[in-house]
Amino acid sequence: MPHAPDEGFRAKGATPPSTDAFETEVLSLVPSLRRYSRSLAKSDTDGEDLLQDCVEKVLVRRSQWRGINLRAWAFTIMTNLYRDRHRRTSQHPSVELNDTLGLTAEDASGDPLEKTRLQRALNALTADHRTVLMLVVVEGYGYQDVADMLSIPIGTVMSRLSRARRQMAAQLAQNNIVTLRRPK
Amino acid sequence: MTDERPPVTEDDLHAYVDGFLDEDRRREVEAWLKDHPKEAADVAAWQAQAADLKAAFSPYARLDEADNAMVHPAPSPTTNTPWRKAAILAASLVLFLSGAAVGIYADRTLGYSVSVETASALESLPAQSKSAFLIYASEKRHPVEVGADQQEHLVTWLGKRLDYKLVAPDLRSQGYSLVGGRLVPVNGKAGAMLMYENAAGQRLTMLLGKNPENAETSFRFESAGPLETFYWIDGSIGYAVTGELGRAELQAIAEECYRQFES
Repeated sequence: MPHAPDEGFRAKGATPPSTDAFETEVLSLVPSLRRYSRSLAKSDTDGEDLLQDCVEKVLVRRSQWRGINLRAWAFTIMTNLYRDRHRRTSQHPSVELNDTLGLTAEDASGDPLEKTRLQRALNALTADHRTVLMLVVVEGYGYQDVADMLSIPIGTVMSRLSRARRQMAAQLAQNNIVTLRRPK
Repeated sequence: MTDERPPVTEDDLHAYVDGFLDEDRRREVEAWLKDHPKEAADVAAWQAQAADLKAAFSPYARLDEADNAMVHPAPSPTTNTPWRKAAILAASLVLFLSGAAVGIYADRTLGYSVSVETASALESLPAQSKSAFLIYASEKRHPVEVGADQQEHLVTWLGKRLDYKLVAPDLRSQGYSLVGGRLVPVNGKAGAMLMYENAAGQRLTMLLGKNPENAETSFRFESAGPLETFYWIDGSIGYAVTGELGRAELQAIAEECYRQFES
C-alpha cells in the first residue's frame, strides 16, 4: 500500500512512532508548509522564519499530537503562530517596498508588477481573512476542514472567505489590474 | 423565473469557484450565472484571483537542502546513526578508509577515498529519496509529470536536465512496471524521479541526482519506519531507491537497477 502521509500512522498501534519516523513525516510536509507560510508572509524572509518556527514547535510538541492528520495539526500550529505575530506587528504597521518585491525573486516568469500588486492586496487583508483564503484557495482545504482547523463555525469560514475575496477584488481593481482570463 | 431549483446563494458561488459543487449543482449555478451578470463578474474575478494566488505560491512547495537539518535538529552524539557519524567525520577531513571506518565506507574499491563533497551529497540522498516517495507515491491523480506511455520523451527530457544518458531500468522481471517520472530538485540541482508500480498497486520511487564529482560507493541502506531506502553513487550520479517493502526485495531491485545503469 502506498504510504499516505496525511493519515495518522499511529492510529493502528499503541506504539508511538520512532523519532526518525516522525521527523521523516514532518519533512514530507515541509513543501506544503513552506507554501502556506509564504502565502501568509510579507516576504520570503518572513515566510522562512514562520516555517522554521512552525517546524520547531511541531517537533517540540510532538507528544501532544494525537496521532491523526499531522498535516492539519501542523497547519493549525502555523496559523496560530502567524496570528500571534500579526497581532504584534500590526501595532507598528510598516510598508516595506523591498518586501513586497520579494515575491518576484522566486519566480522570474510572471509579471513582476502584477505580483507586487497581488502581494500588496494580500498584505491589506486581516490575518483571519488571509488564513481562510489561503487554506481554501492555495492549500485546497474544504470549508468544514478549515472550520475544524481554526475551531470556528463554518458560517464564519464562509463570511471570511467572502470578505477576503471581495476586498482583494476591490483592491486589485483599484490598482488597475485588468483580468484577461475568462472563467472556464 | 419560476422553477423548482433551490436558490443560488453566495455560499454556492464560492463553492462553485472552489470546485466543491457536485456536477448537477454546478450546472445549475452556471446556468443561473448567465442571467446574473453582476454575480458572474464577481465569480470571474474570484476565479482569476484564485489562479493568481496558486501561481504565485505553488513554486514555494519545495524541499530545500537545509530542510533536513531543520527537521533533524542537532542530533545528540548517542543518537547518531553510523552513516551520520561517518559523514561528520568526512566533513572534517578527506576521508581515507581507515580500519574504523571499514563497514561504513567499505567501497567496491578498497582504499577509495570519499571527499567531503561526495560524503555530504551522499548523506542527504536517502532523506530526499524518502521525501520524494512520501510526497509522490501517495498521489493518486498526478504521481508523475510524464507517464510511461511517453517513455522515450521522459528519459530524453530528464537525461538532458541531468546531463546524463538516462535509461529507465526495466523492472518487469521484479514485477514492477514504469509509471513515469518527474523533474525534482536533488541537492539543489535538477534531478529525476522515476516511479514504478507492481500489480498490487504498490509503488517504489527512484531518485537520481548529480554528484559533485566522480565517485563510486557501495550500496547503503537506511530504514525509517516502514520505508527502506537503498542508495549509492556511481560516477557522476547518485541513486536512491525507496519503497515500502522488505529489505531483501528492495535490494534485489536496487541491484537490478545498478546492473542496467552500468551498461
